[in-house]
Amino acid sequence: MLAYTAKRLLTLIPTLLAASALVFLFVHLIPGDPASILLGDTATAEEVAQLTREMGLDQPLWVQYFVWLGNVLQGDLGTSVFFKTPVLSVIAAGAETSILLACMTMVWIVLIGVPIGVLSATMHGKWVDQVTSGGAMLAASIPTFWLGLYLIFIFSVGLGWFPSSGFPSLSDDGGLANLRYLVLPSLTLAAPNAALIIRLVRASMLDVAREDHVRTARAKGLHPANVAIKHVFRNALIAVAAAFGFTFAALISEAVVTETVFSLPGIGRLVVQSILRRDYPVIQGVILVIVVLYMVINLLVDLAYARLDPRVSLK
Amino acid sequence: MSVLKLMPSALAGRKLATIGFLWLVLVLLAAVFAGVIAPFDPLELDPVNRLAEPGWPHLFGTDHFGRDTFSRALYGARMTVIIGVGSVVVALLSGGLIGMLSAYFTKLGHFLMRGVDVLMAFPALLMALVLITLLERSVANTIIVIGIVYATTTARILYGMTLKLKNEVFVDAAVCSGASHRSILFRHILPNLISPLLVQASFIFAFAQLQAAALDFLGLGLPPEVPSWGNMLSEERIYLTRAPWLLLYPGLLIILSVFSMNLVGDALRDNIDPRFKDDISGV
Amino acid sequence: MKLSRAIRSFALATALTTLSTSVWAEGVLRYATVGEPPSLDQQVITSDLTTTIAHHIFEGLYTFDASNAPVPLLASGETVSEDGKTIVISLRQGVKFHNGEEMTSADVLASLKRWGEFGSRGSLLFDHVESVEATGDYEITLNLKEPFGPWKNLMAFINGGPAIYPASVMDGATKEPISPDNYIGTGPYKFGSWDPNRKIELVRFDDYVSPEGEADGYGGKRVAEFDALNFLPVPDAGTRIAGLRAGDYDYAESIPGDLYAELDADENVTTILNGGPIFGLVFMNSKVGPLKENFALRRAIQSALNKTPALQVAIGPEGLWRANGSFAPEGNVWYSESGTENFSAGKTEEAKSAAAESGYNGEPIKFMVSTNYPFHYDTAIVYTKQLAQAGFNIDLQVYDWATLIEKRAQPDQWDMFFTHHGFVPDPILISVMNDTYPGWWATPEKQELKNRFTASSDEAERQEIWSEIQALIYEQVPTMKTGDVYTYNIASPKLQGMGEATLIWPSFWNVSK
Repeated sequence: MLAYTAKRLLTLIPTLLAASALVFLFVHLIPGDPASILLGDTATAEEVAQLTREMGLDQPLWVQYFVWLGNVLQGDLGTSVFFKTPVLSVIAAGAETSILLACMTMVWIVLIGVPIGVLSATMHGKWVDQVTSGGAMLAASIPTFWLGLYLIFIFSVGLGWFPSSGFPSLSDDGGLANLRYLVLPSLTLAAPNAALIIRLVRASMLDVAREDHVRTARAKGLHPANVAIKHVFRNALIAVAAAFGFTFAALISEAVVTETVFSLPGIGRLVVQSILRRDYPVIQGVILVIVVLYMVINLLVDLAYARLDPRVSLK
Repeated sequence: MSVLKLMPSALAGRKLATIGFLWLVLVLLAAVFAGVIAPFDPLELDPVNRLAEPGWPHLFGTDHFGRDTFSRALYGARMTVIIGVGSVVVALLSGGLIGMLSAYFTKLGHFLMRGVDVLMAFPALLMALVLITLLERSVANTIIVIGIVYATTTARILYGMTLKLKNEVFVDAAVCSGASHRSILFRHILPNLISPLLVQASFIFAFAQLQAAALDFLGLGLPPEVPSWGNMLSEERIYLTRAPWLLLYPGLLIILSVFSMNLVGDALRDNIDPRFKDDISGV
Repeated sequence: MKLSRAIRSFALATALTTLSTSVWAEGVLRYATVGEPPSLDQQVITSDLTTTIAHHIFEGLYTFDASNAPVPLLASGETVSEDGKTIVISLRQGVKFHNGEEMTSADVLASLKRWGEFGSRGSLLFDHVESVEATGDYEITLNLKEPFGPWKNLMAFINGGPAIYPASVMDGATKEPISPDNYIGTGPYKFGSWDPNRKIELVRFDDYVSPEGEADGYGGKRVAEFDALNFLPVPDAGTRIAGLRAGDYDYAESIPGDLYAELDADENVTTILNGGPIFGLVFMNSKVGPLKENFALRRAIQSALNKTPALQVAIGPEGLWRANGSFAPEGNVWYSESGTENFSAGKTEEAKSAAAESGYNGEPIKFMVSTNYPFHYDTAIVYTKQLAQAGFNIDLQVYDWATLIEKRAQPDQWDMFFTHHGFVPDPILISVMNDTYPGWWATPEKQELKNRFTASSDEAERQEIWSEIQALIYEQVPTMKTGDVYTYNIASPKLQGMGEATLIWPSFWNVSK
């Protein structure tokens, strides 16, 4: 297992190099430059050129890439053109929101998705199953921003139950109570993803139910509910756990629309804003961090699989 | 089983999926005949009659340019079909080819699938945003960007399915009879993959609509002058209270169409070769 | 410490009743902005958002009163020599910077020098300055090359203007904006923190030394009533409105015109009009392409346009826009009707024949517009339609703002582009007066008038010359004005002391809730 982990970690290196080069190239090919955005409408061409020089953006692209790569390898993602602070701290500021939002979304998905998935698997083929499966699919068919706009309209402006937008840090006044700012966004984000989990729980439970040890258990006269919980659900959880890993990684980046609707200071909106103002180091940094995150989760999921399910062998 | 026969047998006994299928046919008809049915030019400005309520002659009201929302919705159907079909073609052609070739030629596959791994690691939507800003907003670029996102999953799926088929008896038989690689791949393996591909296509079609709408919302999708349901929502979203119909109709159209496509895809999946069922879990 | 606070607040979180109440104390103003400013360095950044935030931190020697006349702020007065070339400005004494040091002429000198060399609008003044010296601890002397009328207006205009920083901050400062730890000014609020993507916080400066006199516009007494000002980026207009209605914000800027009636009628919302209108401008390329020096063709394009429908579509209700061809709003000292008969003629057929006479035969005219500002895009769509009807072959190119800025710097990439202009108290500040602004309008006729305009310091004479310049703008059409737009912001009715209208940028001294 240790050897396998080491080997997997080694293969990450070329992948990361390729990813970093791709990101760098794409980001720098975007027309427009940070200097002219900083200086605004009245700046002259000479002024823009001067600032571009001061920021070191007039160097050839490959020189800039290797300078950047060298710094990244030393753990320095550069300095944000706009915030004048290290990219890592800009990302860290956004990470609080993104991670909390993803966690809260996960809670909804588990609270809503798993019971419904189990229910619909145990009621397989009955009307309950059809209604819940259909409902889940419908929820997955709603554009997230559309849902978000209506949730704000109903629950913030109309009923005043939850704040409409923004998210003060948990370390600000209010502390944990600030989590209520994430209720509507996390529900918005949970709607389409819950459907995927419902379908997954249902399918993997049905699959496991067909397997031998479960049939044996049932043949031994165990109560169907017991069988469902003890054998089927536990095994199905393994598949679901894997899906959670990836859903979590996806939530961090796919939340960009939700973060925009609710004006959340998360990673997704940070990228959108950074693209609009051509803050190259931030765009590169965020994407690179997410790539690494995805790969680590990928590895963890594989390792967890091996631990939880003896049938999986690692090559 | 031919593709044409696939649909009736998949829909048999599934009322909801059948309704969904009929809705999609309606969308297709609207797309094809938008120019004939639409009572107004979707781009015609009418500043005097802006933000008119639904009624006659503007069935769905007018937007803040005074453009007829019903006509725009019809032309939006056309965009829906173009984006959907376009993304499916890009994803299946590029991803499908990579997946099949990788499974068939193992050495090449090792290399290609590593590339797919790199792409999969990228946060899809964020990369799409970078690419669109780089390429500038256009219908073709939106299709390409969405297509690439789903090409990676398609490659993975096709890779798995082709591997399974590669070891089947009929492939061995073809190899023994001296058939060329091309003939084995496209005459023997591909026909077996048509129906699972169709399922994958229907899911891509559905999710491409949501991705396109999300890109439109972020201002990085189709050019704003193109009448699409996503653009209609995005452009008129501040009128949620002032002119609710501007958000209601395009929103419902997107939901109905994506839902229908999901239902049809789901029905098709239940009908395919059980060996491949697990390979496609939605997009 | 953070943990204990977190635990305490957990009890709070569990109480459902607290769910919708604000976590912020009453002493904090929550301002929903359209985004984040590029930087708060007033001297080099002209973004309106920068000024809205930064003019609470930084002050200049002069500012404007409610009638847009310059009045002393950090200055206490000035004497101008007979020949108009020597200006001696005396400074207020005892004014403290946020770092505790007293402001002296050394700080003012360093700030003016950096602004003169690198500031966005610095060269407008410093092209006419021979030298600037500190002639006493509290005295600055400006030696001009020739009499220069608008010097005080330029000093008072804080947007891209001469904000006063400590000399230590100005040491080595260049075109690149200064970093946040150097945001040290003399204003009623000091810089607190910039939490990227989340908020910019200003806190009350307890040692603030306010100018005397009754508050009048930006002049007179300034009292910081709030403990802190929070500027929260909320780019989506719908979210800003919903947030203010839901009580999450006290103030929200840049609200779409179409919602004015609805919001004005809502008793939970106060609408505040901006006093000075902004206006759209369509610049034409004087360097390259079919529009270069073809003034007849440019006039034909302008005469094909009826600007009213575009304003209706882009802005909405009648009260929020005016189809005004003068570069200054009616009632302003710079208002003039010269040339404006061509402002919005809407003569499709005449334009067609005029274009043909000018030698135009259907070559494409590249028109760039950005989607970042809905009103730019909406207006451009209407213009493109109207121009097409008059037989012009308009190639509308839609970009995001950053791309447009890059493209417009390249003369071969475009023929027309859309931008907008904020209200300015002196026409010399209008971008078309700047010869190097994209479009590059620098004809001999312009030079001649501009030289006369800046040399004079007689108000009546300057107004007369400006009216001639405006006539020239309608003759050579370096840019087309699209009409005046009165933007508005919304506020919670709890805010006290906001006044009926905003002068140029909202200010929150003398405001409480």
